[in-house]
Amino acid sequence: MVIDFSQPTPVEISEERQLSASRREMVLNMGPQHPSTHGVLRVLLTLDGEVITSCDPNIGYLHRGVEKLGESHRYSQFVPWTDRTDYVAAPSNNLGYVLAVEKLCGIEAPERAQYWRIIMGELARIASHLVWLGTHALDIGALSISLYCFRERELILDIFEKFCGARLTTNMMEIGGFSRPIPPELPEMVRTFCKVFPGGQRDYELILSENPIWLSRTRGIGVIEPEVAISYGLTGACLRGSGINYDVRKAQPYLLYDRLDFEVPLGSHGDVFDRYLVRMEEMRQAIKIIEQCIDQVPTDGDLMLHGSPYTIPPHDTVLTTAEDMQRHFIWVIKGFSPPKGEVYSAIEHSKGELGHYIVSDGSPMPYRMRLRTPDFVNLQSLPYMAQGAMLADVVAMIGTIDIVLGSVDR
Amino acid sequence: MSEEHAQLPARPKLTADSWATGYWGPTEPDLHPAVYAVRERFPDAFIDAINFRDEMTIRVERARLRDVIAFLRDHPDQRYNLLTDETAVDMVRLRDTPRFDIVVQLYSIPNRVRLRVKAGVDDGETVPSLVPVHAAANWMEREVYDMFGIVFEDHPDLRRILLADDWDEGHPLRKDYPLRGFREYVQPGFTKPAPRIRTRLRRPQ
Repeated sequence: MVIDFSQPTPVEISEERQLSASRREMVLNMGPQHPSTHGVLRVLLTLDGEVITSCDPNIGYLHRGVEKLGESHRYSQFVPWTDRTDYVAAPSNNLGYVLAVEKLCGIEAPERAQYWRIIMGELARIASHLVWLGTHALDIGALSISLYCFRERELILDIFEKFCGARLTTNMMEIGGFSRPIPPELPEMVRTFCKVFPGGQRDYELILSENPIWLSRTRGIGVIEPEVAISYGLTGACLRGSGINYDVRKAQPYLLYDRLDFEVPLGSHGDVFDRYLVRMEEMRQAIKIIEQCIDQVPTDGDLMLHGSPYTIPPHDTVLTTAEDMQRHFIWVIKGFSPPKGEVYSAIEHSKGELGHYIVSDGSPMPYRMRLRTPDFVNLQSLPYMAQGAMLADVVAMIGTIDIVLGSVDR
Repeated sequence: MSEEHAQLPARPKLTADSWATGYWGPTEPDLHPAVYAVRERFPDAFIDAINFRDEMTIRVERARLRDVIAFLRDHPDQRYNLLTDETAVDMVRLRDTPRFDIVVQLYSIPNRVRLRVKAGVDDGETVPSLVPVHAAANWMEREVYDMFGIVFEDHPDLRRILLADDWDEGHPLRKDYPLRGFREYVQPGFTKPAPRIRTRLRRPQ
């Protein structure tokens, strides 16, 4: 038999194997153990060939009931729990929580502590963006960039370790300031990091920014229009990548951000590449903020607000005076009772707006503790982005939202 | 919309220096433009407005919650276009009725002002869903349903989100839900469940 290869081969498809329109769809279960879902995210994808027709993110695998735990802990006991929500940028979580409690109590940390809080928050922002960049590039196929990113992140973790002894779950901030002194060599470590980091960032941009593979995997992928971004409640780089200028540090400055000179980068197309550019520029601005703070911060002064019933008394007077020893005992054993009321306090986390809504009934424990985590809200936009996209781009879309499942599931 | 608001009397203007730092809006409820606008537009649904730590809270009737949020989003002077948060509070230890509060945090990107809108809802009552107004409310309302058991009308996809789909132990953030759950759980390697410890301090009466 002679086969004519110029003509398509007629294939007999039996009745039962012919795919109708409904049977062409396939449900693909991605995760929860998939390496590029950044944790235990499970996404149910309905595919028509390689095109996604619907997408259903399924979260909750890491739910630990942090809000319920917050209602059963005293105010000062909840600070370690905030580390465990977003474990990639733990100092920012500490900051958001202690600022909310300080607002509820009507107190303010001393100026030196506020400067150091900004420094630690911005270092955490850089560390979080480095983890994001490394894993995001790894998902898309650039293996070596993650090694570069973790090289610089190690310097930040060394600074955290020098300051508070921990690298990941830092628990560094206390209501009213810092409970630990600043080590004398810490400013020099931060200055050294500020000198070293721009060179490292040039390495990433040399590898990525004009790389044709990176451009073709990120440009025009996962586009979110500005009005859609607002409707979905996006914050952080996801919102600014679409061109909406909303940064809590500029819009409603907390700490001493109104004294500092920095810019808010904005994207124009709202795609994965623009959000990449926004985050890279944010890291550059964070270095600028840290350099200003380290120049302006007083070298000595209180790191903790003293004399307030809401803060822990200093260690040396606890050991020498009876009044402070009693206050310390009461503070540790019974906690403190803020006034009745409710506050919502928001900070600019590395992933967006981190809000804490605390309802106080005048008892030593919060009546309601609500964590408005940015990536929980940002992840809602994944079905919108994935609709009609190709299967291979889903990992780019999950990466560009910058999720940490501990923070999504709480 | 504009003709309707043209009939309103002139409202107090914001002062320029209040924009300097940490602006949270006027502290006097009567001077707050959003309170003013909502009270004029919804005289029957508006209940009260209170201020604490420079944060304004408007309390409205449950049935008009979606209308109020949509009005605040579309009003040319208010433009509370970002739904920051939607959650609930179980108020069973603080008052008799209604049992829950739906708490909506709004933010106006152009005006840089925050606003909180609350509506009381009792057990078994439904709340109009905010998904037609803000798509961001979708997962937040699913979480409220998951944690408190409050049902939202017209929600496109109301099912549990954080807990398992077949979770049958109730709604954990209700105040009558014990911290360690209702069920005695025997950990692997143990024969008895771990002893219950006192998990709650005494609260002031």
